[in-house]
Amino acid sequence: MSSRTEVAVTPSVKEKKKKRSFPFWKSNVFLGSLIPIALVILWELSSRIGWVAPHLLPAPTTVLEEVVSMAQSGELWGHIWITLYRVLAGFLVGTSVAIVLGAATGYSKIANQLLDPMLQALRAIPSLAWVPLFILWIGIGETSKITLVAVGVFFPVYLNLTSGIQGVDRKLIEVGRMYHFSSVQLIRRIILPASFPSFLVGIRSGLSLGWMFVVAAELLGASQGLGYLMVFGQNTSAPELVVGSILLFAIFGKVTDEVLKRIQTRALRWQDNMENAS
Amino acid sequence: MLTVDCVSRIFQHGKAGFRHVDFQLSKGEVVGVLGTSGCGKSTLLRVLAGLDPNYQGMIQTSAENPDQAFGMMFQEPRLMPWLNVIDNITFGAKRASSQQQAEELLETVGLAGFEKHFPKDLSGGMAQRVAIARSLLHQPEILLLDEPFSALDAFTKMQLQDLLLSIWEKHDTTTLLVTHDIDEAVYLCDRVIIMRGQPGQVESEIHIDRPKPRKRGDAQLAELKEEILKELDFTKT
Repeated sequence: MSSRTEVAVTPSVKEKKKKRSFPFWKSNVFLGSLIPIALVILWELSSRIGWVAPHLLPAPTTVLEEVVSMAQSGELWGHIWITLYRVLAGFLVGTSVAIVLGAATGYSKIANQLLDPMLQALRAIPSLAWVPLFILWIGIGETSKITLVAVGVFFPVYLNLTSGIQGVDRKLIEVGRMYHFSSVQLIRRIILPASFPSFLVGIRSGLSLGWMFVVAAELLGASQGLGYLMVFGQNTSAPELVVGSILLFAIFGKVTDEVLKRIQTRALRWQDNMENAS
Repeated sequence: MLTVDCVSRIFQHGKAGFRHVDFQLSKGEVVGVLGTSGCGKSTLLRVLAGLDPNYQGMIQTSAENPDQAFGMMFQEPRLMPWLNVIDNITFGAKRASSQQQAEELLETVGLAGFEKHFPKDLSGGMAQRVAIARSLLHQPEILLLDEPFSALDAFTKMQLQDLLLSIWEKHDTTTLLVTHDIDEAVYLCDRVIIMRGQPGQVESEIHIDRPKPRKRGDAQLAELKEEILKELDFTKT
């Protein structure tokens, strides 16, 4: 009665990955875009027929024309570039600071007692309340805008990382201790990978807050950027400019989030959850 | 191989843990620790494994490298979910040469071909096989098993018990097996230590001289089981 022969099962992971062929009308892309497309058509029609006043809500084609003509004249790219730069710079700064502080408060009890209450209190301050202060402190230039975005990005990343680290299974850490791991080894080989899913959730919600905060920063004092375009459109009664900027924000927000989502799915293939169920 | 001399570990104001435990393991011996729940048998294993440093008494090993003398396997597999099977087996390895060793161990536990699978794709029994392989990678001189099969179904349990027998035959690993399954103890062990009480103490020791592999339905083992049940006597408090 040897047990060496009993597992005759062949590995089956590769077979699972074979995609079943779906009819197109059942695919996510199709179903997900069905309602938005219908709404855009309805919008176009109602503007054309005159149900809504074009000086309040211009037709989608008018918005598109405006965006295209700005892109052709080259004016648009400067605005897009500066907004992207602010979001990404703020995102990097905010995430880096959050990693340092989140790792410290998650791992060390004393750091948690010292820092966490203060950070939680700061989190309660509404985002826009920072704007006047940052402008006073660091002026109206790029730094104050990037700082504001960084503040927005910081909190979700910090909170998720801390709770991720604190939620690491004690049983897994014991395995490391059986191997006489040092603190550094415990962090690198068990705590960081185990809290990684939570960290990724944090940077995704951090990025979306970053987009929110960049609008706030640009609405309140900028001479360039997509947020500035919106204010400009408001002041010159050009609703197509405002709607166009909103659309561009939506597109860039979605694209950057999709990038992070792809990274998340790839990095977390090992997770036993609904998404990975086959 | 291992001498445990008057070791105590008490918590909750003397109501839990174990007290004055003495025993010795000689090389290649498989010793079971049986006891009712709460008698401190798992705590004893944690103390031996070095996971709980707050004990009194003396623990000595004749191992060359006391730091790596112990290998431990828990009730749950405790695999790292983000590592595939082969990386889980080599998880604690310090040398690079262990890759090939890990392949061999995977073969031994009957999981060849599953190297790249993640723990989520394994059944409970398969995951526990990986855990066995991981605990053997260091070639520990003393293997500590903490109710290793208690979460598995009866058939998987029997398969894995036989797997352990074949591993002992091959590696001659000294083993301390904590369990609450009397059948498992009499089937696998050369000697059974019975613990009772709260905090637990060693009540008695029973030698089992039947040659291995034993038959699960062996009449003599049934008598031994009777004897152990009497020792444990659940009506006494």
